Amino acid sequence: MNARARTWPWYLLLAVILLGVAASLWGATQRIDYTWRWKRIPQYFVYRGEDVATVPADGRVEEVREAGDEAVVVFVDETGERHEFRVAAGTVRVSPGEDLFAGDPVGSTFAWRTGPLLNGLWTTLWLSFFSGILGLLLGLVAGLCRVAKNPTLRGLSVVYVEVIRGTPLLVQIFIFYFFLGTVLDLDRIVAGVLALAVFAGAYVAEIVRAGIQSIPRGQMEAARSLGMNVPQAMRHIILPQALKRTLPPLAGQFISLIKDSSLVSVIAITDLTKSGREVITSTFATFEIWFTVAAMYFVITGLLSQVIQWMERRLAVSD
Amino acid sequence: MIEVRDLVKVFHARGHVVRAVDGVTTRVEAGEVVVVVGPSGSGKSTFLRCLNGLESFDSGHVVIDGQDLADRKTDINRVRREVGMVFQQFNLFPHKTVLENLTLAQQVVRKRSQDEAEAKARALLAKVGIAEKESEYPSRLSGGQQQRVAIARALAMDPKVMLFDEPTSALDPEMVGEVLDVMKTLAREGMTMVVVTHEIGFAKEVADRGIFMDEGKIVESGPPGELFSNPQEARTQLFLSQVL
Repeated sequence: MNARARTWPWYLLLAVILLGVAASLWGATQRIDYTWRWKRIPQYFVYRGEDVATVPADGRVEEVREAGDEAVVVFVDETGERHEFRVAAGTVRVSPGEDLFAGDPVGSTFAWRTGPLLNGLWTTLWLSFFSGILGLLLGLVAGLCRVAKNPTLRGLSVVYVEVIRGTPLLVQIFIFYFFLGTVLDLDRIVAGVLALAVFAGAYVAEIVRAGIQSIPRGQMEAARSLGMNVPQAMRHIILPQALKRTLPPLAGQFISLIKDSSLVSVIAITDLTKSGREVITSTFATFEIWFTVAAMYFVITGLLSQVIQWMERRLAVSD
Repeated sequence: MIEVRDLVKVFHARGHVVRAVDGVTTRVEAGEVVVVVGPSGSGKSTFLRCLNGLESFDSGHVVIDGQDLADRKTDINRVRREVGMVFQQFNLFPHKTVLENLTLAQQVVRKRSQDEAEAKARALLAKVGIAEKESEYPSRLSGGQQQRVAIARALAMDPKVMLFDEPTSALDPEMVGEVLDVMKTLAREGMTMVVVTHEIGFAKEVADRGIFMDEGKIVESGPPGELFSNPQEARTQLFLSQVL
Protein backbone atom coordinates (compact mmCIF):
# COMPACT_ATOMS: atom_id res chain seq x y z
CA MET A 1 0.00 0.00 0.00
CA ASN A 2 1.42 3.32 -1.05
CA ALA A 3 1.47 5.53 2.02
CA ARG A 4 1.38 8.66 -0.11
CA ALA A 5 -1.80 7.81 -1.95
CA ARG A 6 -2.88 10.28 -4.58
CA THR A 7 -5.38 12.69 -3.07
CA TRP A 8 -5.79 15.21 -5.86
CA PRO A 9 -8.60 13.30 -7.64
CA TRP A 10 -10.64 13.63 -4.48
CA TYR A 11 -10.02 17.34 -4.27
CA LEU A 12 -11.05 17.55 -7.91
CA LEU A 13 -14.26 15.68 -7.06
CA LEU A 14 -14.86 18.12 -4.16
CA ALA A 15 -14.47 21.09 -6.51
CA VAL A 16 -16.83 19.50 -9.04
CA ILE A 17 -19.49 18.89 -6.38
CA LEU A 18 -19.25 22.46 -5.03
CA LEU A 19 -19.43 23.88 -8.55
CA GLY A 20 -22.43 21.64 -9.21
CA VAL A 21 -24.24 22.99 -6.16
CA ALA A 22 -23.49 26.57 -7.20
CA ALA A 23 -24.64 25.88 -10.76
CA SER A 24 -27.91 24.31 -9.65
CA LEU A 25 -28.60 27.29 -7.37
CA TRP A 26 -27.95 29.59 -10.30
CA GLY A 27 -30.15 27.46 -12.56
CA ALA A 28 -32.96 27.50 -10.01
CA THR A 29 -32.96 31.30 -9.81
CA GLN A 30 -32.93 31.49 -13.61
CA ARG A 31 -36.14 29.49 -13.71
CA ILE A 32 -38.01 31.87 -11.39
CA ASP A 33 -36.84 34.86 -13.36
CA TYR A 34 -35.17 36.74 -10.52
CA THR A 35 -33.15 39.82 -11.30
CA TRP A 36 -30.01 39.98 -9.22
CA ARG A 37 -29.08 43.49 -8.13
CA TRP A 38 -25.84 43.08 -6.24
CA LYS A 39 -24.90 46.69 -7.03
CA ARG A 40 -27.50 47.89 -4.57
CA ILE A 41 -25.92 46.12 -1.63
CA PRO A 42 -22.69 48.10 -0.89
CA GLN A 43 -24.59 51.31 -0.06
CA TYR A 44 -26.10 49.51 2.92
CA PHE A 45 -22.63 48.98 4.37
CA VAL A 46 -21.32 52.52 3.90
CA TYR A 47 -22.66 55.43 1.98
CA ARG A 48 -21.94 59.10 1.48
CA GLY A 49 -24.50 60.94 3.54
CA GLU A 50 -25.60 64.43 2.53
CA ASP A 51 -26.06 67.20 5.12
CA VAL A 52 -27.94 70.20 3.94
CA ALA A 53 -26.77 73.49 5.50
CA THR A 54 -29.59 75.93 6.22
CA VAL A 55 -29.60 79.59 7.32
CA PRO A 56 -30.68 80.25 10.91
CA ALA A 57 -32.54 83.49 10.28
CA ASP A 58 -33.78 85.80 7.55
CA GLY A 59 -31.09 87.79 5.71
CA ARG A 60 -29.08 88.24 2.56
CA VAL A 61 -26.24 86.37 0.86
CA GLU A 62 -23.28 88.66 0.70
CA GLU A 63 -20.67 86.59 -1.10
CA VAL A 64 -20.11 83.15 -2.69
CA ARG A 65 -16.52 82.13 -3.39
CA GLU A 66 -14.84 78.92 -4.45
CA ALA A 67 -12.01 77.49 -2.33
CA GLY A 68 -10.63 74.32 -3.93
CA ASP A 69 -13.33 71.64 -3.86
CA GLU A 70 -15.25 73.66 -1.30
CA ALA A 71 -17.39 76.73 -1.63
CA VAL A 72 -17.74 79.41 1.05
CA VAL A 73 -21.07 81.19 1.37
CA VAL A 74 -21.08 84.39 3.45
CA PHE A 75 -24.51 85.27 4.82
CA VAL A 76 -25.54 88.32 6.85
CA ASP A 77 -28.74 88.11 8.85
CA GLU A 78 -31.11 90.92 9.84
CA THR A 79 -29.18 91.82 12.96
CA GLY A 80 -26.03 92.25 10.86
CA GLU A 81 -24.30 89.13 12.15
CA ARG A 82 -22.07 87.34 9.61
CA HIS A 83 -22.31 83.58 9.06
CA GLU A 84 -19.90 81.54 6.93
CA PHE A 85 -20.98 78.23 5.44
CA ARG A 86 -18.46 75.79 3.97
CA VAL A 87 -20.18 73.41 1.59
CA ALA A 88 -19.12 71.09 -1.22
CA ALA A 89 -18.42 72.81 -4.51
CA GLY A 90 -21.25 72.39 -6.99
CA THR A 91 -23.94 72.13 -4.33
CA VAL A 92 -24.34 75.88 -3.78
CA ARG A 93 -28.00 76.78 -4.25
CA VAL A 94 -27.76 80.52 -3.66
CA SER A 95 -26.23 83.47 -5.45
CA PRO A 96 -24.78 86.72 -4.07
CA GLY A 97 -27.37 89.33 -3.19
CA GLU A 98 -30.18 86.77 -2.80
CA ASP A 99 -32.65 87.23 0.06
CA LEU A 100 -33.15 84.11 2.22
CA PHE A 101 -35.64 83.17 4.88
CA ALA A 102 -34.82 81.17 8.00
CA GLY A 103 -34.45 77.49 7.10
CA ASP A 104 -33.61 78.00 3.44
CA PRO A 105 -30.88 75.63 2.14
CA VAL A 106 -27.47 77.06 1.22
CA GLY A 107 -25.66 73.94 0.02
CA SER A 108 -24.61 70.49 1.15
CA THR A 109 -21.67 68.73 2.75
CA PHE A 110 -20.94 65.02 2.30
CA ALA A 111 -19.54 62.47 4.76
CA TRP A 112 -19.09 58.69 4.83
CA ARG A 113 -21.65 56.96 7.04
CA THR A 114 -22.08 53.36 8.12
CA GLY A 115 -25.17 51.77 6.68
CA PRO A 116 -27.73 49.56 8.42
CA LEU A 117 -25.86 46.32 7.72
CA LEU A 118 -22.70 47.51 9.52
CA ASN A 119 -24.73 49.07 12.32
CA GLY A 120 -26.62 45.81 12.71
CA LEU A 121 -23.37 43.85 12.74
CA TRP A 122 -22.03 46.11 15.49
CA THR A 123 -25.20 45.58 17.53
CA THR A 124 -24.89 41.82 17.07
CA LEU A 125 -21.26 41.92 18.19
CA TRP A 126 -21.72 43.89 21.40
CA LEU A 127 -24.94 42.08 22.21
CA SER A 128 -23.08 38.77 21.92
CA PHE A 129 -20.10 40.14 23.84
CA PHE A 130 -22.07 41.32 26.86
CA SER A 131 -24.36 38.31 27.00
CA GLY A 132 -21.27 36.12 26.56
CA ILE A 133 -19.48 37.69 29.54
CA LEU A 134 -22.63 37.52 31.66
CA GLY A 135 -23.30 33.96 30.53
CA LEU A 136 -19.74 32.98 31.40
CA LEU A 137 -20.12 34.29 34.96
CA LEU A 138 -23.54 32.65 35.34
CA GLY A 139 -22.23 29.39 33.93
CA LEU A 140 -19.17 29.42 36.17
CA VAL A 141 -21.32 29.86 39.27
CA ALA A 142 -23.87 27.27 38.12
CA GLY A 143 -21.09 24.84 37.14
CA LEU A 144 -19.43 25.18 40.54
CA CYS A 145 -22.81 24.65 42.24
CA ARG A 146 -23.31 21.57 40.07
CA VAL A 147 -20.21 19.88 41.54
CA ALA A 148 -20.82 21.16 45.08
CA LYS A 149 -21.59 18.75 47.90
CA ASN A 150 -24.55 20.82 49.12
CA PRO A 151 -27.79 19.29 47.72
CA THR A 152 -29.56 22.66 47.57
CA LEU A 153 -26.90 24.27 45.39
CA ARG A 154 -26.67 21.16 43.24
CA GLY A 155 -30.46 21.03 42.87
CA LEU A 156 -30.71 24.69 41.90
CA SER A 157 -28.03 24.22 39.28
CA VAL A 158 -29.68 21.09 37.85
CA VAL A 159 -33.09 22.79 37.62
CA TYR A 160 -31.57 25.85 35.93
CA VAL A 161 -29.62 23.84 33.38
CA GLU A 162 -32.45 21.42 32.61
CA VAL A 163 -35.16 24.08 32.26
CA ILE A 164 -33.06 26.28 30.00
CA ARG A 165 -31.78 23.42 27.86
CA GLY A 166 -35.24 21.93 27.64
CA THR A 167 -36.98 24.99 26.21
CA PRO A 168 -36.44 26.83 22.91
CA LEU A 169 -34.39 30.01 23.00
CA LEU A 170 -37.04 31.83 20.99
CA VAL A 171 -39.64 31.10 23.67
CA GLN A 172 -37.19 32.16 26.39
CA ILE A 173 -36.65 35.48 24.62
CA PHE A 174 -40.41 36.05 24.46
CA ILE A 175 -40.74 35.23 28.15
CA PHE A 176 -37.89 37.56 29.07
CA TYR A 177 -39.29 40.38 27.00
CA PHE A 178 -43.04 40.07 27.48
CA PHE A 179 -43.18 38.59 31.00
CA LEU A 180 -40.03 39.62 32.87
CA GLY A 181 -39.70 42.76 30.79
CA THR A 182 -43.19 43.87 31.81
CA VAL A 183 -42.98 42.77 35.42
CA LEU A 184 -39.55 44.25 36.07
CA ASP A 185 -39.91 47.09 33.57
CA LEU A 186 -36.87 46.07 31.51
CA ASP A 187 -35.64 47.73 28.38
CA ARG A 188 -35.80 45.47 25.31
CA ILE A 189 -31.99 45.48 25.04
CA VAL A 190 -31.63 44.41 28.68
CA ALA A 191 -34.24 41.69 28.20
CA GLY A 192 -32.44 40.47 25.08
CA VAL A 193 -29.01 40.42 26.69
CA LEU A 194 -30.39 38.67 29.79
CA ALA A 195 -32.22 36.02 27.75
CA LEU A 196 -29.08 35.24 25.74
CA ALA A 197 -26.89 35.26 28.87
CA VAL A 198 -29.17 32.92 30.80
CA PHE A 199 -29.36 30.61 27.79
CA ALA A 200 -25.58 30.58 27.26
CA GLY A 201 -25.01 30.21 31.01
CA ALA A 202 -26.79 26.86 31.09
CA TYR A 203 -24.50 25.44 28.42
CA VAL A 204 -21.41 27.04 29.98
CA ALA A 205 -22.39 25.43 33.31
CA GLU A 206 -22.27 21.99 31.70
CA ILE A 207 -18.92 22.79 30.08
CA VAL A 208 -17.50 23.99 33.41
CA ARG A 209 -18.84 20.92 35.21
CA ALA A 210 -17.27 18.62 32.63
CA GLY A 211 -14.01 20.56 32.89
CA ILE A 212 -13.85 20.27 36.66
CA GLN A 213 -14.75 16.60 36.59
CA SER A 214 -12.09 15.92 33.97
CA ILE A 215 -9.36 16.90 36.43
CA PRO A 216 -8.06 13.71 38.11
CA ARG A 217 -9.26 13.22 41.69
CA GLY A 218 -5.66 13.05 42.84
CA GLN A 219 -5.26 16.78 42.21
CA MET A 220 -7.93 17.65 44.75
CA GLU A 221 -6.57 15.03 47.17
CA ALA A 222 -3.03 16.38 46.87
CA ALA A 223 -4.27 19.92 47.48
CA ARG A 224 -6.37 18.85 50.47
CA SER A 225 -3.53 16.75 51.89
CA LEU A 226 -1.41 19.92 51.95
CA GLY A 227 -4.02 21.53 54.20
CA MET A 228 -5.87 23.63 51.62
CA ASN A 229 -9.62 23.95 52.07
CA VAL A 230 -11.98 23.34 49.15
CA PRO A 231 -12.21 26.97 47.95
CA GLN A 232 -8.41 27.31 48.04
CA ALA A 233 -7.94 24.04 46.15
CA MET A 234 -10.56 25.09 43.58
CA ARG A 235 -8.99 28.48 43.06
CA HIS A 236 -5.34 27.46 42.86
CA ILE A 237 -5.43 23.89 41.58
CA ILE A 238 -8.68 22.74 39.97
CA LEU A 239 -10.06 25.82 38.18
CA PRO A 240 -6.83 26.91 36.46
CA GLN A 241 -6.47 23.45 34.95
CA ALA A 242 -10.18 23.06 34.21
CA LEU A 243 -10.51 26.45 32.52
CA LYS A 244 -7.56 25.71 30.28
CA ARG A 245 -9.26 22.51 29.15
CA THR A 246 -12.64 24.18 28.70
CA LEU A 247 -11.36 27.09 26.64
CA PRO A 248 -12.06 25.42 23.25
CA PRO A 249 -15.65 24.34 24.07
CA LEU A 250 -16.30 27.71 25.73
CA ALA A 251 -15.18 29.50 22.61
CA GLY A 252 -17.41 27.21 20.55
CA GLN A 253 -20.30 28.15 22.80
CA PHE A 254 -19.53 31.81 22.17
CA ILE A 255 -19.65 31.22 18.42
CA SER A 256 -23.07 29.60 18.89
CA LEU A 257 -24.13 32.62 20.92
CA ILE A 258 -23.30 34.98 18.04
CA LYS A 259 -25.53 32.93 15.77
CA ASP A 260 -28.29 32.55 18.37
CA SER A 261 -28.30 36.31 18.95
CA SER A 262 -30.09 36.63 15.60
CA LEU A 263 -33.24 35.52 17.45
CA VAL A 264 -33.43 38.77 19.46
CA SER A 265 -34.58 40.46 16.26
CA VAL A 266 -38.06 39.17 17.16
CA ILE A 267 -38.23 41.67 20.05
CA ALA A 268 -37.28 44.51 17.71
CA ILE A 269 -33.61 44.80 18.59
CA THR A 270 -31.94 46.01 15.41
CA ASP A 271 -29.22 43.41 15.13
CA LEU A 272 -27.71 42.16 11.88
CA THR A 273 -30.70 39.95 11.06
CA LYS A 274 -33.28 42.66 11.69
CA SER A 275 -31.19 45.18 9.74
CA GLY A 276 -31.24 42.73 6.86
CA ARG A 277 -35.02 42.52 7.03
CA GLU A 278 -35.29 46.30 7.09
CA VAL A 279 -33.03 46.70 4.08
CA ILE A 280 -35.14 44.16 2.19
CA THR A 281 -38.28 46.19 2.76
CA SER A 282 -36.68 49.14 0.98
CA THR A 283 -34.82 47.25 -1.77
CA PHE A 284 -36.75 44.04 -2.41
CA ALA A 285 -33.32 42.49 -2.99
CA THR A 286 -34.33 39.55 -0.78
CA PHE A 287 -31.88 36.96 -2.07
CA GLU A 288 -28.86 39.25 -2.14
CA ILE A 289 -29.43 40.59 1.38
CA TRP A 290 -29.91 37.21 3.00
CA PHE A 291 -26.81 35.83 1.28
CA THR A 292 -24.90 38.92 2.41
CA VAL A 293 -26.14 38.62 5.99
CA ALA A 294 -25.21 34.93 6.06
CA ALA A 295 -21.75 35.76 4.72
CA MET A 296 -21.29 38.41 7.41
CA TYR A 297 -22.16 35.96 10.19
CA PHE A 298 -19.87 33.40 8.55
CA VAL A 299 -16.93 35.82 8.43
CA ILE A 300 -17.32 36.69 12.12
CA THR A 301 -17.65 33.11 13.32
CA GLY A 302 -14.87 32.01 10.96
CA LEU A 303 -12.48 34.65 12.29
CA LEU A 304 -13.35 33.70 15.85
CA SER A 305 -12.72 30.00 15.27
CA GLN A 306 -9.34 30.86 13.71
CA VAL A 307 -8.47 32.79 16.87
CA ILE A 308 -9.53 29.81 18.96
CA GLN A 309 -7.40 27.40 16.95
CA TRP A 310 -4.46 29.72 17.46
CA MET A 311 -5.15 29.81 21.19
CA GLU A 312 -5.38 26.02 21.35
CA ARG A 313 -1.98 25.72 19.69
CA ARG A 314 -0.53 28.25 22.15
CA LEU A 315 -1.91 26.32 25.12
CA ALA A 316 -0.65 23.01 23.76
CA VAL A 317 2.89 24.42 23.70
CA SER A 318 2.88 25.10 27.45
CA ASP A 319 1.84 21.52 28.26
CA MET B 1 1.83 10.58 67.63
CA ILE B 2 -0.86 8.56 65.85
CA GLU B 3 -3.37 6.45 67.70
CA VAL B 4 -5.92 4.35 65.85
CA ARG B 5 -8.71 2.60 67.74
CA ASP B 6 -11.25 0.17 66.23
CA LEU B 7 -11.17 1.92 62.86
CA VAL B 8 -13.91 0.72 60.48
CA LYS B 9 -14.44 1.88 56.92
CA VAL B 10 -17.23 0.31 54.88
CA PHE B 11 -17.70 0.70 51.13
CA HIS B 12 -21.12 0.11 49.61
CA ALA B 13 -20.51 -1.08 46.10
CA ARG B 14 -23.22 -2.40 43.79
CA GLY B 15 -25.38 -3.89 46.48
CA HIS B 16 -22.72 -5.62 48.48
CA VAL B 17 -20.81 -4.26 51.41
CA VAL B 18 -17.03 -4.25 51.61
CA ARG B 19 -15.40 -3.77 54.99
CA ALA B 20 -12.22 -2.16 53.63
CA VAL B 21 -10.86 -1.41 57.10
CA ASP B 22 -12.30 -3.70 59.74
CA GLY B 23 -11.49 -2.86 63.33
CA VAL B 24 -7.87 -1.73 63.09
CA THR B 25 -6.16 -0.67 66.32
CA THR B 26 -2.54 0.46 66.40
CA ARG B 27 -0.19 3.20 67.54
CA VAL B 28 2.63 5.02 65.84
CA GLU B 29 5.08 6.74 68.18
CA ALA B 30 6.92 9.94 67.31
CA GLY B 31 9.99 9.12 65.23
CA GLU B 32 8.77 5.63 64.46
CA VAL B 33 8.80 4.23 60.92
CA VAL B 34 5.93 1.81 60.31
CA VAL B 35 5.64 -0.18 57.09
CA VAL B 36 2.25 -1.59 56.08
CA VAL B 37 2.25 -4.49 53.63
CA GLY B 38 -0.49 -6.73 52.33
CA PRO B 39 -2.08 -8.04 49.14
CA SER B 40 -4.01 -5.64 46.93
CA GLY B 41 -7.50 -5.04 48.25
CA SER B 42 -6.39 -5.67 51.80
CA GLY B 43 -7.41 -2.15 52.84
CA LYS B 44 -3.91 -0.86 53.54
CA SER B 45 -4.25 2.20 51.28
CA THR B 46 -7.72 2.96 52.65
CA PHE B 47 -6.31 2.69 56.18
CA LEU B 48 -3.56 5.16 55.27
CA ARG B 49 -6.02 7.59 53.67
CA CYS B 50 -8.14 7.52 56.84
CA LEU B 51 -5.13 8.80 58.77
CA ASN B 52 -5.35 12.26 57.16
CA GLY B 53 -9.06 12.32 56.52
CA LEU B 54 -8.92 11.84 52.75
CA GLU B 55 -11.23 8.92 53.42
CA SER B 56 -14.00 9.35 55.96
CA PHE B 57 -14.49 6.38 58.27
CA ASP B 58 -17.62 4.81 59.70
CA SER B 59 -16.59 4.20 63.27
CA GLY B 60 -13.57 4.22 65.55
CA HIS B 61 -11.04 6.92 66.31
CA VAL B 62 -7.96 8.32 64.62
CA VAL B 63 -6.05 10.61 66.97
CA ILE B 64 -3.25 12.60 65.38
CA ASP B 65 -1.07 14.54 67.82
CA GLY B 66 -3.94 14.73 70.29
CA GLN B 67 -6.64 15.66 67.75
CA ASP B 68 -9.38 13.10 67.15
CA LEU B 69 -10.52 13.04 63.52
CA ALA B 70 -13.81 11.43 64.63
CA ASP B 71 -14.58 14.58 66.63
CA ARG B 72 -16.71 16.90 64.49
CA LYS B 73 -15.07 19.95 66.06
CA THR B 74 -11.63 18.97 64.75
CA ASP B 75 -10.50 21.26 61.93
CA ILE B 76 -9.37 18.71 59.36
CA ASN B 77 -7.37 21.30 57.39
CA ARG B 78 -5.40 22.12 60.53
CA VAL B 79 -4.59 18.43 61.04
CA ARG B 80 -3.61 17.90 57.41
CA ARG B 81 -0.97 20.65 57.62
CA GLU B 82 0.85 18.46 60.10
CA VAL B 83 0.44 15.28 58.05
CA GLY B 84 2.29 15.12 54.74
CA MET B 85 1.16 12.63 52.12
CA VAL B 86 2.92 11.13 49.12
CA PHE B 87 0.77 9.43 46.49
CA GLN B 88 1.35 6.51 44.18
CA GLN B 89 0.59 8.72 41.15
CA PHE B 90 2.67 11.70 42.47
CA ASN B 91 -0.26 14.11 41.88
CA LEU B 92 1.99 17.07 41.21
CA PHE B 93 0.21 20.17 39.97
CA PRO B 94 0.87 20.08 36.21
CA HIS B 95 0.16 23.78 35.64
CA LYS B 96 2.78 24.90 38.15
CA THR B 97 6.54 24.71 37.94
CA VAL B 98 8.44 22.48 40.35
CA LEU B 99 9.24 25.47 42.55
CA GLU B 100 5.62 26.67 42.51
CA ASN B 101 4.47 23.17 43.44
CA LEU B 102 6.52 23.53 46.61
CA THR B 103 5.71 27.14 47.44
CA LEU B 104 1.96 27.27 46.74
CA ALA B 105 0.65 25.56 49.88
CA GLN B 106 3.29 27.24 52.02
CA GLN B 107 1.98 30.63 50.95
CA VAL B 108 -1.72 29.78 50.84
CA VAL B 109 -1.94 27.61 53.96
CA ARG B 110 1.06 28.54 56.10
CA LYS B 111 0.88 32.22 55.02
CA ARG B 112 4.63 32.37 54.46
CA SER B 113 6.12 35.15 52.38
CA GLN B 114 7.23 34.30 48.87
CA ASP B 115 10.91 34.69 49.75
CA GLU B 116 10.60 32.48 52.79
CA ALA B 117 8.64 29.85 50.85
CA GLU B 118 11.12 29.85 47.97
CA ALA B 119 14.12 29.56 50.29
CA LYS B 120 12.47 26.59 52.00
CA ALA B 121 11.54 25.04 48.64
CA ARG B 122 15.07 25.39 47.22
CA ALA B 123 16.58 23.83 50.32
CA LEU B 124 14.23 20.86 50.05
CA LEU B 125 14.80 20.44 46.31
CA ALA B 126 18.53 20.33 47.02
CA LYS B 127 17.90 17.76 49.70
CA VAL B 128 16.02 15.43 47.32
CA GLY B 129 18.66 16.09 44.66
CA ILE B 130 16.81 18.00 41.93
CA ALA B 131 17.69 21.62 42.67
CA GLU B 132 18.45 22.23 38.99
CA LYS B 133 14.87 21.40 37.88
CA GLU B 134 13.09 24.11 39.87
CA SER B 135 11.73 26.00 36.86
CA GLU B 136 10.66 22.92 34.87
CA TYR B 137 7.06 21.77 34.61
CA PRO B 138 6.34 18.35 36.17
CA SER B 139 5.56 16.77 32.78
CA ARG B 140 9.24 17.26 31.80
CA LEU B 141 10.47 15.19 34.74
CA SER B 142 10.95 11.43 35.01
CA GLY B 143 8.73 9.46 37.37
CA GLY B 144 11.42 9.22 40.00
CA GLN B 145 12.09 12.94 39.83
CA GLN B 146 8.37 13.69 40.07
CA GLN B 147 8.01 11.52 43.15
CA ARG B 148 10.98 13.23 44.78
CA VAL B 149 9.36 16.60 44.07
CA ALA B 150 6.15 15.26 45.62
CA ILE B 151 8.05 14.26 48.76
CA ALA B 152 9.69 17.69 48.91
CA ARG B 153 6.28 19.32 48.42
CA ALA B 154 4.88 17.47 51.42
CA LEU B 155 7.98 18.26 53.50
CA ALA B 156 7.70 21.97 52.70
CA MET B 157 4.73 22.15 55.07
CA ASP B 158 6.96 20.98 57.95
CA PRO B 159 4.74 17.99 58.74
CA LYS B 160 5.09 16.01 61.94
CA VAL B 161 4.07 12.79 60.18
CA MET B 162 4.61 11.61 56.61
CA LEU B 163 2.28 9.10 54.96
CA PHE B 164 3.46 7.23 51.86
CA ASP B 165 0.88 5.45 49.70
CA GLU B 166 2.83 2.96 47.55
CA PRO B 167 5.30 5.67 46.54
CA THR B 168 7.33 3.43 44.23
CA SER B 169 4.58 1.32 42.63
CA ALA B 170 4.13 3.57 39.59
CA LEU B 171 7.85 3.92 38.92
CA ASP B 172 10.09 2.21 36.41
CA PRO B 173 12.37 -0.22 38.26
CA GLU B 174 15.53 1.84 37.75
CA MET B 175 13.92 4.85 39.47
CA VAL B 176 12.74 3.05 42.61
CA GLY B 177 16.14 3.37 44.27
CA GLU B 178 16.38 7.14 44.10
CA VAL B 179 12.99 7.56 45.78
CA LEU B 180 13.75 4.95 48.45
CA ASP B 181 17.06 6.71 49.18
CA VAL B 182 15.21 9.94 49.93
CA MET B 183 12.81 8.05 52.20
CA LYS B 184 15.68 6.33 54.02
CA THR B 185 17.31 9.69 54.67
CA LEU B 186 14.05 10.96 56.10
CA ALA B 187 13.69 7.91 58.32
CA ARG B 188 17.22 8.36 59.68
CA GLU B 189 16.49 12.00 60.46
CA GLY B 190 13.77 10.83 62.83
CA MET B 191 10.66 11.61 60.76
CA THR B 192 7.54 9.77 61.86
CA MET B 193 6.51 7.73 58.81
CA VAL B 194 3.74 5.34 57.81
CA VAL B 195 4.62 3.65 54.55
CA VAL B 196 2.37 1.40 52.48
CA THR B 197 4.68 -0.44 50.15
CA HIS B 198 5.65 -3.69 48.46
CA GLU B 199 9.35 -2.99 48.97
CA ILE B 200 10.17 -5.65 51.55
CA GLY B 201 13.86 -4.79 51.34
CA PHE B 202 13.18 -1.19 52.27
CA ALA B 203 10.93 -2.34 55.10
CA LYS B 204 13.63 -4.60 56.54
CA GLU B 205 16.25 -1.88 56.29
CA VAL B 206 14.56 1.17 57.79
CA ALA B 207 11.28 0.17 59.44
CA ASP B 208 10.93 0.04 63.21
CA ARG B 209 7.81 -2.05 62.86
CA GLY B 210 5.99 -3.95 60.13
CA ILE B 211 2.24 -4.47 59.83
CA PHE B 212 0.71 -7.13 57.62
CA MET B 213 -2.91 -6.43 56.66
CA ASP B 214 -5.45 -8.64 54.91
CA GLU B 215 -9.18 -8.20 54.42
CA GLY B 216 -9.18 -4.97 56.39
CA LYS B 217 -7.61 -6.45 59.50
CA ILE B 218 -4.13 -6.41 60.96
CA VAL B 219 -3.07 -10.04 60.67
CA GLU B 220 0.33 -9.69 62.25
CA SER B 221 2.70 -6.98 63.32
CA GLY B 222 6.15 -6.80 64.80
CA PRO B 223 9.77 -5.87 64.19
CA PRO B 224 10.48 -6.19 60.45
CA GLY B 225 13.27 -8.67 60.98
CA GLU B 226 10.85 -11.14 62.53
CA LEU B 227 7.72 -10.26 60.55
CA PHE B 228 9.31 -10.60 57.14
CA SER B 229 11.80 -13.38 57.88
CA ASN B 230 9.89 -15.53 60.30
CA PRO B 231 6.15 -14.82 60.08
CA GLN B 232 3.86 -16.67 62.48
CA GLU B 233 0.57 -16.57 60.58
CA ALA B 234 -0.08 -18.80 57.58
CA ARG B 235 -1.60 -15.90 55.62
CA THR B 236 1.56 -13.81 56.08
CA GLN B 237 3.77 -16.72 55.09
CA LEU B 238 1.75 -17.25 51.90
CA PHE B 239 1.89 -13.56 50.95
CA LEU B 240 5.61 -13.25 51.58
CA SER B 241 6.35 -16.41 49.62
CA GLN B 242 4.54 -14.83 46.69
CA VAL B 243 6.24 -11.42 46.75
CA LEU B 244 9.77 -12.45 47.65
